[in-house]
Amino acid sequence: MIRNTLIKKQLIIQKIRQFFKEQEVLEVQTPILQNTSTSDVYIDSISLTINTDIGIQSIQYLHTSPELEMKKLLAQGSGDIYQICQVFRNNEYGKQNFNEFTLLEYYRLGFDIHQLMADMINLLKMLGIQDKVYQLSYAQVFNQYANIDILNTDIASLKIIASKLGLSTDFVWIEDLQMLLFVHLVEPKLKNLPLCFIYDYPKSQSTLAKVKNQVAKRFELYLNGVEVANGYDELQTKDEYQQVFICENNKRKQFSKLISQIDVSFLSKLSKPLPQCTGVAIGINRLLTQIN
Amino acid sequence: MDKYSINQFKNGLKLMLDSNPCSILNNEIVKPGKGQAFNRVKFKDLITGKTLIKTFKSGEFLEGADVMELDLQYLYNDGNAWNFMDPHSFEQYIIDGITVSSVKGYLVEQDICIVTLWNDNPISITPPNHVILEVFDTDPGLKGDTIGASGKPATMNTGVVLQVPLFVSIGDKVKVDTRINEYAGRA
Repeated sequence: MIRNTLIKKQLIIQKIRQFFKEQEVLEVQTPILQNTSTSDVYIDSISLTINTDIGIQSIQYLHTSPELEMKKLLAQGSGDIYQICQVFRNNEYGKQNFNEFTLLEYYRLGFDIHQLMADMINLLKMLGIQDKVYQLSYAQVFNQYANIDILNTDIASLKIIASKLGLSTDFVWIEDLQMLLFVHLVEPKLKNLPLCFIYDYPKSQSTLAKVKNQVAKRFELYLNGVEVANGYDELQTKDEYQQVFICENNKRKQFSKLISQIDVSFLSKLSKPLPQCTGVAIGINRLLTQIN
Repeated sequence: MDKYSINQFKNGLKLMLDSNPCSILNNEIVKPGKGQAFNRVKFKDLITGKTLIKTFKSGEFLEGADVMELDLQYLYNDGNAWNFMDPHSFEQYIIDGITVSSVKGYLVEQDICIVTLWNDNPISITPPNHVILEVFDTDPGLKGDTIGASGKPATMNTGVVLQVPLFVSIGDKVKVDTRINEYAGRA
């Protein structure tokens, strides 16, 4: 039994490698041990103590995602790249969340999010996922399933909606309320759309994605109602990244969370901006459960 | 009453929600890729019996409900109320018709039922999964018939009506699955 599972996993990873080989996307490996923790507000790094010399210790962190290390390569002219690696996150537990999981992360130069979604559909097909593809914007799903004009509703009005549903309203930032309502009203309905991309997020949820025409150029992939991938039209300049890191750290401060050091080694590689590229992180374990 | 943090939620925990006591049926942690973790919790309202789904953010608290479940023996109906007794303490409980209404067709004297008390007041009764009832009225029985797809309606001595196989006659005792109101065999 275990052998069958292992064979299936091996086969799928082989197919993924084959897919990228055909597209001339280069496989890379980046360091798992980092000098800085993640600045993501709702993701926590796992720290460890390393002996650098007899009696001298330093704190290091397991990567929560290979994103910044891969972007260093992109900034130096790597071209299209992908990586399959284990990532580590603290304080994650539940049916779908674990402290360690396998991530496939890949970057395509010159693509926008719609080209990247099309590319992913090809990858999913190759892996045997051939369901009808639904592509809906964040605003569309909210309109359809919750009758909320999510892009034009302010935090006060969202609090009223949440309160009527008996949900928490104790939020400082609008994105938390948007996500709560998404989780409560929209996500359960996505089970009816077996293969569904949701794109163009509110700009308050832009994280490291570009904002164009008032929306964040991001997408998420849902398979049978489970979020499997998160894709971005990536920010390119050092200043943009620096601004996001500072902003996220300010939020972490408000939660009394560990403040991450600004990753100087990353910013220093961006003296020349990143090429126009889109990147996506795919949870391999979640993906595997969807493939027969 | 105690307060319970979302992290302590587990199936069967009784909590107050919209001023009704509820029992947790399922608790699922949902974490948006870039967002805060939420708990999607499925509750059963112990008064209305309805299932509801609520979403909480981690770190929230809910008040516990003073709910107790007792195994009580059903004694008799005195015309107004249904009388139950704790077979260990012999304490008697008198339960009104509204609380009993949905299950009164399955109450058989001497059977042990689960009675849910909230603040010491009975709010719901769960009869045994199977009870033995007597057929009060049905079309005459046919010999040689076995359990088939078709059947006939039969009224039990307690008033409930269910489909029974054709061979069942008035006065027969039958086993009834109270969860689905179905014939479960000859008694």
